[in-house]
Amino acid sequence: VIRKYFWPICLVGLFLTSVLSQSCDLLYVHLNRVTWQNLKLLSHMSNPFPVECLKEKKAFELPQEILSHTQPVKRHIEEAFYEISSQVFNIFSQHACKSAWDEKHLKQIQIGLHQQVEYLERCLEEEEKERDRETLLNNLKLRRYFNRLGNFLKDKKYSQCAWEIVLVEIRRCV
Amino acid sequence: MLALLGTAALVLVAGAPWVSPAAAGGKNLTSPQNVEVCIIDDAFTLKWDRSDESVSNVTFSADYQTPKMRNWEKLPGCQYITGTMCNFSSVKLNVFEKIKLRVRAEKGNETSPWHEVGSFVPYRKAQIGPPEARLKAEDKAIIVDISPPGTKDSLMWATDRSAFTYRLVIWENSASVDERTETVYPGGKIYKLSPETTYCLKVKAELRLQRRVGSYSPVYCINTTVENKLPPPENIEVDAKNQSYVLKWDYTYENVTFQAQWLYAYFKKILGNHSDKWKQIPGCRNVKTTQCVFPQKVFPEGTYLLRVQASNGNKTSFWSEEKALDTEIKTAILPPVISMKSISNSLQIYIGAPKDTENKSVSQAYVLTYEIIFWKNTSNAERKILQKKGDFVIPDLHPLTVYCVKARALVEGERWNKSSVFSDTVCEKTKPGNTSIAWLISGVCTVVFFIPAVIYVVKHLLGYIKYVFFPSCKPPPSIDQYFSEQSLKNLLLSTSEEQTERCFIIENTDALVTVEETNQVGEDHKKYSSQTSRDSGNYSNEDENSGGKTSEELV
Repeated sequence: VIRKYFWPICLVGLFLTSVLSQSCDLLYVHLNRVTWQNLKLLSHMSNPFPVECLKEKKAFELPQEILSHTQPVKRHIEEAFYEISSQVFNIFSQHACKSAWDEKHLKQIQIGLHQQVEYLERCLEEEEKERDRETLLNNLKLRRYFNRLGNFLKDKKYSQCAWEIVLVEIRRCV
Repeated sequence: MLALLGTAALVLVAGAPWVSPAAAGGKNLTSPQNVEVCIIDDAFTLKWDRSDESVSNVTFSADYQTPKMRNWEKLPGCQYITGTMCNFSSVKLNVFEKIKLRVRAEKGNETSPWHEVGSFVPYRKAQIGPPEARLKAEDKAIIVDISPPGTKDSLMWATDRSAFTYRLVIWENSASVDERTETVYPGGKIYKLSPETTYCLKVKAELRLQRRVGSYSPVYCINTTVENKLPPPENIEVDAKNQSYVLKWDYTYENVTFQAQWLYAYFKKILGNHSDKWKQIPGCRNVKTTQCVFPQKVFPEGTYLLRVQASNGNKTSFWSEEKALDTEIKTAILPPVISMKSISNSLQIYIGAPKDTENKSVSQAYVLTYEIIFWKNTSNAERKILQKKGDFVIPDLHPLTVYCVKARALVEGERWNKSSVFSDTVCEKTKPGNTSIAWLISGVCTVVFFIPAVIYVVKHLLGYIKYVFFPSCKPPPSIDQYFSEQSLKNLLLSTSEEQTERCFIIENTDALVTVEETNQVGEDHKKYSSQTSRDSGNYSNEDENSGGKTSEELV
């Protein structure tokens, strides 16, 4: 089931390359690379999914339609990526995260996500200045999803299993 | 007094017959007006106005409903309220889900109609409250530790904790006119202040990309300390030079040693005290010079903060301002590699992306623009071209002239302008200009020779075709009979075989369904049949060929 949903989102990640252009072109190149690095790191981070955690698995309902606009607008993609990366950063910076994994990998992931967030922030802000366009960056569906993840961790008292499950979830959307 | 009581009793008595029918119909009490929901961080309040001030002993109650609830439920904290507002923060709502509220007035058994508040998403409605700050003074700086808006386990801002930016206004207490606005992160510093001065400041939190601005914190004031004998190092710079970073700073006094530390830049987004997470930069401990060199390997890709401190025996300075090091930006861009080829009077130029030491192309990371400068060997007049492609042609050059080219790579961005040094100069002589004319003449000549040849060939071919397909005379009847019989036989044979082949295919699918072994047998059959059919093909071809030969011989 995990794999099934994993790919569409990854493909969207690839999509980024072709859609983003012009004013933030340098940023997007960075992003593209950082995104892949993050993905690589995330897959390094977890060993095979612990079987004993399977029973704790839960459907978090990643909103599939975040980027399923018929013609993805650059802005939408940037916004979605910004939201996703900052939310993931938020999750990874929660306490008790350290014990669960190899700290080196975790650090690198955080570095990567932080870079991604900062770059996108700059990009979005510059664009806003240029076009003077109103944006309301609060995609509720995404927030609900990440809120579910956060609450799950909290409920499970940040256990190793909970983290493993969350990691699998996050791999789907980084 | 008695009179008053009397009138009150009278009113009550008089009111009684009024009230009772109203109680049955619920028409007498009017519902509250101007109902408003106010959310600041995790504090939820509901406010309303009494619609009829004259009716006493009225209480108010509210219900709520979320999309997952079938029925209205009593809103905790908002039952039988005598005032005109209530606090329902105790309800652990999902702040990202819609919620509906309704309020009514009650008196005894009597109730007013409900006043309903249209559904809303608490997160969207919420205002950012004031953050909390704790100050610590140095001689020329103030450290601002900030707690984000909301409670410690805020549900409202649970997904925004690392997204807040904090803006503060700071002023000297004695001269409140001179205000300064700064953006700080929790645990960050405000620099360039004067020692022994009282400063006051207030902070607000913002979610910039959501265009949400919070309210200011109360004003906090603090005195900066007496000036430290040892000032902190200034003008910190970091540069990349051959596999190393060079950290430089300015310092006025002599006989001091320095040490430098680093911190992951992402820590400034994470709440909490990170002052103990700074680490020593290797090679920058007890440095006597105003610079230190450390290998680039120390810092894997990312953004880091660097700071320097001076010490002199037992005295140490405060830490310098923090300098960000972005490994990406600091990496030097290497010059590109050029190769050139002359094509008549133009030059084909190939520019290879600069290679870094690990022989990995840097161009993946950057969008490179090449600045190409070329000139005639004999003159100094240079021409400049900007190119994004690494393969292009400079046309319309003088023939048999030596041209020289050099190029450098540029990275252009609004923030980063970087360029490599120029590559080595490459020179090449252009070819004689008349080559193209020679080519044209030879081309014309070949065309002139070819046309008659083509006409001749086509004419003869047509003749042959006519002989083969529309023979002018028929072969003798005996041969003709033999020939037609043969072909008929062939035709029959081949069709029958085709039918058997179809049979096999059907058998095949059957076999697939039943047993695997039979399937193999089926495949063998198929192979066999295809072989036979191919054989027959050859056979018939031969026949045809021979037939053709005979017809030719006949001709």
